[in-house]
Amino acid sequence: MSLRAPGFPRAGLGILLAVALAYGLVIGVRALYGWDPVLDGDAVLQVALIAAPFGFFIGFGLFDYWFRWASGAPTVPEEHSSHGARSWKDYFRVNTDHKVIGIQYVVTSFFFLLVGGMFAMLVRAELAQPGMQFVNPNAYNGLFSVHASILIFLFIIPVFAGFANYVLPLMIGAPDMAFPRLNALSYWMLPVAGIMMLASFLAPGGSFSTGWTAYAPLSTEAPIGQVFFTIGVQFAGASSIATALNFLVTIITMRAPGMSFFRMPLLVWANFSTSLLVVIATPFIAASQFFVLLERALGFNFFEVTRGGDVLMYQHVFWFYSHPAVYIMMLPGFGIISEILAVKSRKPIFGYRMMAFSLLAIVVLGFTVWAHHMFVSGMQEWIRVPMMITTAVIAVPTGIKIFSWLATLWKGVLHLDTPMLFALGFVTMFTLGGISGVMLAMIPFTIHVSDTYFIVAHIHYVLFGGSLFTIFAGAYYWFPKMTGRMYDERLGKLHFWTTFVGFNLTFAPMHLIGIEGMPRRVADYAQEFAGWNLFISIASFVVGLSTLVFVYNMVVSWRAGIRAPANPWKALTLEWQVSSPPPIFNFDTIPTVVGGPYEYGVPGAVHGVFKGAEVKTTATPAGAAPVGD
Amino acid sequence: MEAGALTLPHGGGHDEHHGPPPANRSSRVDAPTLGMLLFIISEIMVFGAFFTAYFFIRVVQGAEWPAEGTHLPQAIAGVNTAILLSSSLTMHWTVMAAKADNRAGMRAGIFTTALLGFTFLFIQINEYVHIGFSPSDSAQGSIFYGLTGLHGAHVFIGLMLLCFVAIRVFRGHFSSAHHRGLEIPGIYWHFVDIMWVVVFTTVYIL
Ligand SMILES: [Cu+2]
Repeated sequence: MSLRAPGFPRAGLGILLAVALAYGLVIGVRALYGWDPVLDGDAVLQVALIAAPFGFFIGFGLFDYWFRWASGAPTVPEEHSSHGARSWKDYFRVNTDHKVIGIQYVVTSFFFLLVGGMFAMLVRAELAQPGMQFVNPNAYNGLFSVHASILIFLFIIPVFAGFANYVLPLMIGAPDMAFPRLNALSYWMLPVAGIMMLASFLAPGGSFSTGWTAYAPLSTEAPIGQVFFTIGVQFAGASSIATALNFLVTIITMRAPGMSFFRMPLLVWANFSTSLLVVIATPFIAASQFFVLLERALGFNFFEVTRGGDVLMYQHVFWFYSHPAVYIMMLPGFGIISEILAVKSRKPIFGYRMMAFSLLAIVVLGFTVWAHHMFVSGMQEWIRVPMMITTAVIAVPTGIKIFSWLATLWKGVLHLDTPMLFALGFVTMFTLGGISGVMLAMIPFTIHVSDTYFIVAHIHYVLFGGSLFTIFAGAYYWFPKMTGRMYDERLGKLHFWTTFVGFNLTFAPMHLIGIEGMPRRVADYAQEFAGWNLFISIASFVVGLSTLVFVYNMVVSWRAGIRAPANPWKALTLEWQVSSPPPIFNFDTIPTVVGGPYEYGVPGAVHGVFKGAEVKTTATPAGAAPVGD
Repeated sequence: MEAGALTLPHGGGHDEHHGPPPANRSSRVDAPTLGMLLFIISEIMVFGAFFTAYFFIRVVQGAEWPAEGTHLPQAIAGVNTAILLSSSLTMHWTVMAAKADNRAGMRAGIFTTALLGFTFLFIQINEYVHIGFSPSDSAQGSIFYGLTGLHGAHVFIGLMLLCFVAIRVFRGHFSSAHHRGLEIPGIYWHFVDIMWVVVFTTVYIL
């Protein structure tokens, strides 16, 4: 319990000081301007929500190195004592090892999956019957808002960053990420953002209840719980940008010899594309929330029409991020699926280059379609048709990927184990979600189903049948590498089938009741929808239970599963060429890449080789004494 | 040989002395410079979002610019622009001095750059005090304060970086062999200056 050394006690002190600072600042400024009363609770809360995370980061030790640099003092050269994890406690410290950070990311994100899933269960419990059962309408709005925000910003986006953090440096033959300290900071911003969003339930007036979209002026006039979203998203977004920057620099500057861009595994390509999207698009959601915050806290008038503001501007700025964000939540999954389908069907990826180029095409086209979310918003009519066309066009690169996957499977020797089942489940479900997406691109159809359950069905086919299936596939696929243990195959298959069936029974009927006109985001509904809703609620509880099978399998297998060999899937990519889990510094010597990553079924094909002896003469081996310094 | 390690501000994780094998360098660009360039792309997009707000208020809504009964001090802002642009020149000069191992030049350069930056910020704040409208008066006022305030915040961050760098300049940590820690904050400072030209043109001139 030292308040001087970095750690939780000092972080607690940091938070206390930050809250004290918030009080001081608010009282000071208000006294200076002569405002009455001098103490304004809402103002203190807003300042504290910004300051307290920094108090935590500083106290926790994330800034120690940079403070030393800023003061002009000698910076301690990296001494690697913060690499690797010897006990579970090491996951609760600042750690700069990409493998530790990867596991921190993945476990934290899955925790938020369970939390967000719980909210979904509460929503479905309320919707099981017409009328009000468990919660009041405001609390219901809060439930689905926090459900969406948590699962988007604290689960799907970061869990992909977690997987990539773990396997991407290994895949390209790098000893770590380019900026390990920034990497640690990126991770620790996540729990802060998540706790902030959940803490909004404690706010007077209830949690934020404006959906994950937080449209102005709804959000600028909502009770104070709204700012927990406004500010929480800033931390999640900053984390996302910092990680993306880190991935890009790592991929560009730290590839192993011979690892040209067109020898990179598609997971690396996918994260490269995603990171480009994040670096370019995420600042827009940050700005949209700055606008809301400025409007709420300082009386700005960005959206106040009577004073010359433009209320639709929020939606334009928001969707300029949030449409690309659906690709941020999808492209890394494409990468995971490409890895698994090639390995599990023992065939090279069909059209590898087209797969890479279609990712880049999605990155570019993703910025040209945002207003398809605004067809009924009352924006200028001439924007509609161009956006309809670009939205239909963006289905082309996605279609290329789906046909490439099918061609990869064609005449392959399919190994139908759990990762493969989830991958195949993804290909089918995501295709359905994509088709309803093209339907929604058509303006007359969209006008008919806007704000109905058809939208809910579409988004869940894309983000659950799409993203979540790829995440489960990836979790099973890399589980042996990350934990050094094998998962239970029978429980894995049980998990897949219950999820797959439960998912379809839950979301497929929503298309129907949506077309019939059941509105989304309302706690009550007309009697005619009662039958389907009860059915959907029961099916959704099956999905909820199936998740418990997954959690049980992961926890028990991690503790007591059989030891995993280095390469249980006989994969060629580099992360499988080292032990499970990998050595503390990944490689003794950096491998040399001599061929493509997916040459399955090609006799004698090699992706990377370790030229141990001759390279050691030029490179410093692990643990060697510093030379000449 | 201690100074060598000192001049690397962004410990890249592979400037190590023991531990992992050295990473292969697969690009001619070094990691911290690339990181700064990508960060600047993100920053440009933040400004882009604020310019979107400006566009919607001024062009789509067709609001009068500046708001009725207000006046933007173009002359003062013009002088301020000259001040900030000359600080870019002195920053460049500082890096050149480092490359030529000119210690006195480096010190004079970084001192002048920071001084010009602080002058800019001081004049900007002074302008706020005397400008006669507030962000809550009108949407035009909001976006005026939004854009210039966002930029001012960036000047402040840039000045912090310059101060950190100045400490090392005066301690003699930079030389022709080691000046990356000076160059990278310099890139950021140039970005802040160029951004101001865009803000100045759209807000004060057009
Ligand atoms: Cu969209």
